[in-house]
This record gives sequence, C-alpha cells and structure tokens, in this order.
Amino acid sequence: MGRFGKELVKGIVISNPLFVLALGFCPALAVSTSVDNALGMSVGVAFVLLGSNLIVSAIRKAVPNIVRIPVFIVIIATFVTVVNLVFHAYVPSLYESLGIYLPLIVVNCIILGRAEAFASKNPVTSSIADALGVSIGFLLALLIISFLRELLGTGSLSLFGVDLFTLPVLGENPMTLFILPPGAFLVMALLLALFRRMGVMKSE
Amino acid sequence: MKVKTLMGVFPIIFITAVVFASVGLVTWTDSVTATKIEEQKEQEIQSMLKEMFPSMSEYTFEDDIYTIYSGGTGVGYAFLAVGKGYGGDIDILIGLEDEMTIKGITIISQSETPGLGSRIAESSFASKFAGLNIGDVALKQDGGEIDGITGATISSGAVVDAVRTAAMEKVKSLRERE
Amino acid sequence: MSELIAIFLSMAIINNFILARFLGLCPFFGVSKKLSSALSMGFAVTLVMLVASVATWIINNYILIPFGVEYMNIIMYILVIASLVQMIELFIKRTNLTLYNALGIYLPLITTNCAVLGITLINAQESYSLLESIVASLGGGVGFLLVLIIMSGIREKLEVADTPRSMRGLPVAMLVGMLLGLTFFGFGGMI
Repeated sequence: MGRFGKELVKGIVISNPLFVLALGFCPALAVSTSVDNALGMSVGVAFVLLGSNLIVSAIRKAVPNIVRIPVFIVIIATFVTVVNLVFHAYVPSLYESLGIYLPLIVVNCIILGRAEAFASKNPVTSSIADALGVSIGFLLALLIISFLRELLGTGSLSLFGVDLFTLPVLGENPMTLFILPPGAFLVMALLLALFRRMGVMKSE
Repeated sequence: MKVKTLMGVFPIIFITAVVFASVGLVTWTDSVTATKIEEQKEQEIQSMLKEMFPSMSEYTFEDDIYTIYSGGTGVGYAFLAVGKGYGGDIDILIGLEDEMTIKGITIISQSETPGLGSRIAESSFASKFAGLNIGDVALKQDGGEIDGITGATISSGAVVDAVRTAAMEKVKSLRERE
Repeated sequence: MSELIAIFLSMAIINNFILARFLGLCPFFGVSKKLSSALSMGFAVTLVMLVASVATWIINNYILIPFGVEYMNIIMYILVIASLVQMIELFIKRTNLTLYNALGIYLPLITTNCAVLGITLINAQESYSLLESIVASLGGGVGFLLVLIIMSGIREKLEVADTPRSMRGLPVAMLVGMLLGLTFFGFGGMI
C-alpha cells in the first residue's frame, strides 16, 4: 500500500476531522440539512485542502518562519476564493444553499490545522495523501449526519434534484426538529456517543 | 552587513510574492467566471418570466420594470420585490396582467422556517395571487382575499405586503410614463 | 430605530450565532466552567467582531466596490481580522497581563473564529450600512457572550452530575446546545 495509502487511511479513520479531531464543526453542522449540500461542501473543502496542502508542502523549505501563518492563511484564502467563484458560476443553486458557509471554509480549523501540523513538515506526495484522506473522512462524517437529518427531518431523500425515496409515515409527518439547527446538535451528540460506545473513539 | 539586511527583508519579500501570486490567480479566476455568472442571472430571469407568461416572445427592461411582449403585443409587466420575512429577505417576482390585475407571483428565494414559513414557496400559496385585483392583495384578516398559511402568519404577511406595496408603486410609475 | 432593534435581536437571540448559525462553536465547547473565562472570551470576541465589522465595511465600500474587485473580499477580510487580533493581543498584553494569561491560546484563536469572519460576511451579504453593521456585530457578540455565560454555568453543574460514560464531555455539551437552541428558537415570536 505504501506511504501514500497509509496517510490516506489515517485521514479517514484515525484523524477523522469531525468525529475524532472535533474540528471544523461550524460549516459542517450548518450544511448538513441535506445530502446535496453535504456533498457540495465536501467537494469545496477537498479542493481547498488539496490545493493548500500541495502548495504549503511545496514551499515548506522556503517559507521564513515569522511569516509562516500569514502565508498559509493567504494561500488558503486564495483557494477558497477560487472555489467560491467557480461554484457561483457553474453550480449556482449549490452556491446559494451553502451561502456564507462556503467562504467560511477559510477559517475551518481543519485546513489550517493540516497545513500547520502536516503539510509544512512533509513531502508533497504524503501531503496530497493526507489531504485526500482527511477530505474523505470529512465527507463520510458529513454524509452520515446529513443522511440522518434529511431523512428524519423531511421524510424523504433527494440527490442532485432527483427524489430518491420517501418514507411511508415520516413522509407526511417528518420530525422537523432534525432539519432545524438544534437537530444538528442532537444528531452529533448521539453519533459521538454511539461511536464512543462502539469503541471507535475513546470516551473522556 | 548587506547579507544580514537581505535576510531580514526576505520574509517581507516572500509574503509580498505570495500575495501577488494569490491576487493574480484570483483575478484570473474572476475574469473567467464573471461572464458566466452574468449569463446565469439573465437566463434565470428569462426562464422565470417565461413560466409566468407562457406566450412571451421577448421582453424589455426599463426602470426596474420588465415589459412582456408576445408577438408584437404587450401582454403584461413584471418586476422584483423583496419581502421582510421571518428568517430574512424573501425575493419575489411579481407579474401583472395589466395595471389592475396580478398575473401571478414566483418566490425566488426565501429562508423561512422549514415546514412552516417555507411553504410560501409552494404553488398552492402562489396561486392565491393569480388574477387578483391589486387592491384585494391582503390577508383575509386584513380585509383582503388571501388565506395566510396556518402557523406561518409572518411569512405569509411578508409576501402579501411586499406584493401589494411593489405592485402599487410600479403601477404608479407605469402611469407616470404615459 | 425599530429596524435596528430588530437587527440586534435577530443577531443576538433569534438567529443566535452559536445556536442557530453554528458560528463560534470551538470556544463554545471549549469554554471552561469558570464564569470569568466565559466573560473574558465573550468580550474579546465581541470586541473583535465590532472592530472587524467597521474595518471590513470601510474596505468593502471604499475599496472593493468602487474598484469592482469584490472577489478579493475573502482574502482582505481574513487578513484584516488576523492583523486586528494581533494588535488587540499586543494591546491586552501591555495593559492587562492577567487577562492576557487568562485567555491564553484562545486569543490568537479568535482569528479562526467563524463568528468574526461570519459577521463580516453577513454584513456584506445584507448590504448593511455602517450603523447597521455596528448594531449587527454588537448583537452577534452579545448573543455569543450570553450563550457562553449560560453554558459555563451549566457546565459547572454537569461536572458533578452522573453522565453516562459515552456521553461525557462533548456529546452532552452538544445536547445542552440543542436544548438551548430550542429555547432561543421560541423567542422568535418577539419580532
């Protein structure tokens, strides 16, 4: 599997941003109202993470220590701006749904965290693997949360505008709580507790 | 001495270079995407107008009012309005058949409470406005003809108010044109 | 005037930054049981939100829009915020060393606080005037502070409660977030 694979898997399981590192909640919880939004956000995060990890790793030997953090921030902000513009132009409905949470990727602790903790100290290929792994981990976590919220909160599931299925009873009387903000907290609380109970993560 | 000064200045040079590179990339991306974004907006308006006025063949835009034509004849007017909803702005497209009658409304965007206020976007609510006299655009409880949505009085009211105010304002400016 | 009050109430309570918008969650969950830290953090964030709102409003209306370079907003906003936090950090270090030590690592972390960048983006999105931006940022900050205070009190009680092992720490804090959020949601009828 090699080094690349190892970093990849690490990002998904051991360093899973949402469930293990507990980073990057803000945009995650906000966009988890539908699976479509979750997918869109994950793609955005993946692009920014890949771009920033790549560049930070590439210039890691040349960056003077004093300006390290500002340089990382500028790099991340650049990629976020690019994603923002591209989404606005080519997937406008997704852009509208994500709202301010798309530009907020720039302060998502995950991105700066990986740049600082990993990309600035590791070669380019490992950094790319790390970015991919963490992105996939983020995507999976977000999918689980949004799947639950959309299904329980609206009684149906739709993907890319296509209605996939509607649950019998829940379809007419969905548990609206789940689609409201407090519902996100509820789902996260239950999932975290579940993962800890299952031994996937350690309790405090 | 000279080397030392260079070492001190290098971080500044570095970050300036990074900033330049980033500004360059972002500006380039913007130039590529800007035209597409404009196109999108225009297309969106066009398809909404077409849905409201199926016989539309072309339209003109002047002073914030769209005049709709079918063949060579004018068939109506349309304009945008913004309602102050519960969760923020509600963007509405309003169509007029003539200076007295509403053709219909389309809720373009809203951020009302899911399951309650968001139901203003359903066709059952929008259809209540079709064919209505502008003077009758008010909630039934206020002497008008529109049934508010149960549990979403604020959202319904916001739409009703926005439609009536905008319609009256635009009819006034249409009359001033003549 | 009623417009301003509506903005303030909306930002502070109904669309509370933490409970409804999910902005500023890191300090919310990391807040200790001490009321004093909650207060310090809350005030610090409110201050940064206020100054950042004014600074970014000026940049937006006198530089970005006139030159047609609105797409530079994300980069400019975050650089402004990072610089502001640095300056405020130095200021606090010089004037109140105890406060500086109390805030510790959380002070530079305000740079990545979603609430700060969030309010600047919201101000731009809603095209608020300078006065409206100031009121909005104060509202957001006060709401943030309020929730932090409530949370620190609850956290204190949770310490001695018998929480199931898997729920301890973050999960139960999230549940509290849900309950608080529901409560604040009910205030919606006010405006």
